[in-house]
Amino acid sequence: MSFFSKSPWILHYDASSCNGCDIEVLACLTPLYDVERFGVVNTGNPKHADILLITGSVNERNIDIIENLYRQMPDPKVVVAVGACACSGGIFARAYNIQGGIDKVLPVDVYVPGCAARPESIIDGVIKGIGALEMKRKKSA
Amino acid sequence: MDREAFLARVGEYHKEGRRLALINVTTLVPAAAPAHGAKPEAAATEASVGETAAPDQFEITWVFENDKDATLEKIREQVGPADIIPSISEFFGAAFLYENEIHELFGLNVEGINLDLQGQLYKTATKVPFSHAAVKARLEALAAKTAAAAEAKATTEAKA
Amino acid sequence: MKRTIIPFGPQHPVLPEPLVLDLILEDERVVDAVPTIGYIHRGLEMMVERVEYTEMGFVAERICGICSFMHGMGYCVSLEAIMNVEVPERARWLRIIWAEISRVQSHLLWLGLGADAFGFENLFMHCWRMREEILDIFEKTTGGRIIHSVNRIGGVKRDVSDAELAAIVVKLEELGKAFEKTANVFGKDPSIRHRLSGVGVLSADDARAVDAVGPMARASGVVMDTRLSGTYGYDQVDFEPVTETAGDCLARVVVRMREVQQSIGLVRQAVEKMPKGEGMPLENKPRGNPVGETYTRLEQPRGEVLYYVKANGTKNLERFRARTPTFANIPAMIKLVRGCDLADVPNIILTIDPCISCTER
Repeated sequence: MSFFSKSPWILHYDASSCNGCDIEVLACLTPLYDVERFGVVNTGNPKHADILLITGSVNERNIDIIENLYRQMPDPKVVVAVGACACSGGIFARAYNIQGGIDKVLPVDVYVPGCAARPESIIDGVIKGIGALEMKRKKSA
Repeated sequence: MDREAFLARVGEYHKEGRRLALINVTTLVPAAAPAHGAKPEAAATEASVGETAAPDQFEITWVFENDKDATLEKIREQVGPADIIPSISEFFGAAFLYENEIHELFGLNVEGINLDLQGQLYKTATKVPFSHAAVKARLEALAAKTAAAAEAKATTEAKA
Repeated sequence: MKRTIIPFGPQHPVLPEPLVLDLILEDERVVDAVPTIGYIHRGLEMMVERVEYTEMGFVAERICGICSFMHGMGYCVSLEAIMNVEVPERARWLRIIWAEISRVQSHLLWLGLGADAFGFENLFMHCWRMREEILDIFEKTTGGRIIHSVNRIGGVKRDVSDAELAAIVVKLEELGKAFEKTANVFGKDPSIRHRLSGVGVLSADDARAVDAVGPMARASGVVMDTRLSGTYGYDQVDFEPVTETAGDCLARVVVRMREVQQSIGLVRQAVEKMPKGEGMPLENKPRGNPVGETYTRLEQPRGEVLYYVKANGTKNLERFRARTPTFANIPAMIKLVRGCDLADVPNIILTIDPCISCTER
């Protein structure tokens, strides 16, 4: 990945995270880590987003929301699963209301491990996500 | 449970200016169900809590708090799955969340909630996850799994 | 007049977490709000069936990543009460220090999110820049930024050296001075005053009627703070709960700003009063399995939290229930949203400092 043809925008959704990874995602946007230097902007609108950053695992109620958000994003798009819960269900994998990681419903491109995932690894995941986005764009072109 | 006396007592707490701190329900699982990691002798000698548990009972506790001296006042009842529990939301408006929760998670019938969400608060994957049937099913599955793992370990050790 | 229903959430730019309110509007005015939660419900309380009591503390920490220290502490305090374990003095003081530092962290986090909600992104950045310094302290002393896992049943896992504690106090006091500048913006900026003052007023009587807790109740003039009861070592520090009387959104901001300074002061007092020295005992390990039940109350950044733990003599607890502050504050939020303007809804929701993953567990 030598250059970015455009600035990818991020849509962050908290599936059933404990807030830990969530606030680390937000911490990435703030002065110490500042992902905006990579041209990444956090948006609230799925129709503007290229990268879907999901924290937490899939449960009975948010499964529709996750699918809905993903459907609204324009192609090409990339899904980054942040934290142990988003990767596999984590510590709550056996709880009655948890169905498992995000890959139960969406094709996940990048898995970011950690409980809570550290900002450095989240940034790393986003950068890998940008790489995946580039590849998808080339394929579709 | 004695509905009139209960509501009168709650009304009294309300008048005293107490705060609703918690409504908690515990599913009382009889000792016959396989308790994971149970130590029978400890359970037999010191089972001071819930020792009178009849089959398929729930223990429900209303906790009221006084801000001035920080004391907790509790009302405790044992109810069956078919019993109707009167809502206390006419005295304590904040009770509706607890009551909707116990209806949905424990399957108890609460009558007269001021904001009844009709079992749509959490919308859990397992319906009524803390009912006796659900709890027993989970414990049995867990015990079976532990036993299977122990057996598999024993066979591999025997082979070695 | 024709009624319109606007869904608010679960994915909304001002909400870091999913919460749904169906807002029923007449013109621009909200006449009713119906909450729907369950987007984060995991079934945490059921985990006691699978996880032994010695390890349940780590699950309890993950009720919420913002007050993770306090949740771990609350769980351990409950088990200590059931099993009659005395916590060594230095460990008790360390818990107070970490708890107060996490209060500063949580309030800075919230002040940032609040500023973002009323459109002051610059302030959001400043608050979170300061918060990173607190996280550095946590990382240095506990090893984790968010999930600390330093609480054990019977004490704490790690010691912090006296020199390091002194350095933490210096750092926090510098932070407190720097924070005054930011606090001035919150308190004096005319556009913030316009946006927040007089919005979402909760009177003291209403706060009592809906059983509000924490900064929400204190901003309405209700003196209520679990630390006042003096448990877990709070009887040995000088402490006066912060209260405001206006009860509006601005008062709730001011209460939290003042609590940042108060918590910094409490950390300084704790460091002064705790027993000094290396290699002091930090943990009394419990023996056997717990039998009995207990109710534990702690003052979290968002208000009073109540844990109910019931143990039956096996390795697995019979019941673990956490009633978190946001759970208690949701009725107050619904009360405030009824009758307000649509444009004020985000501010009102944010000023209760909602923590949905606490609420749903």
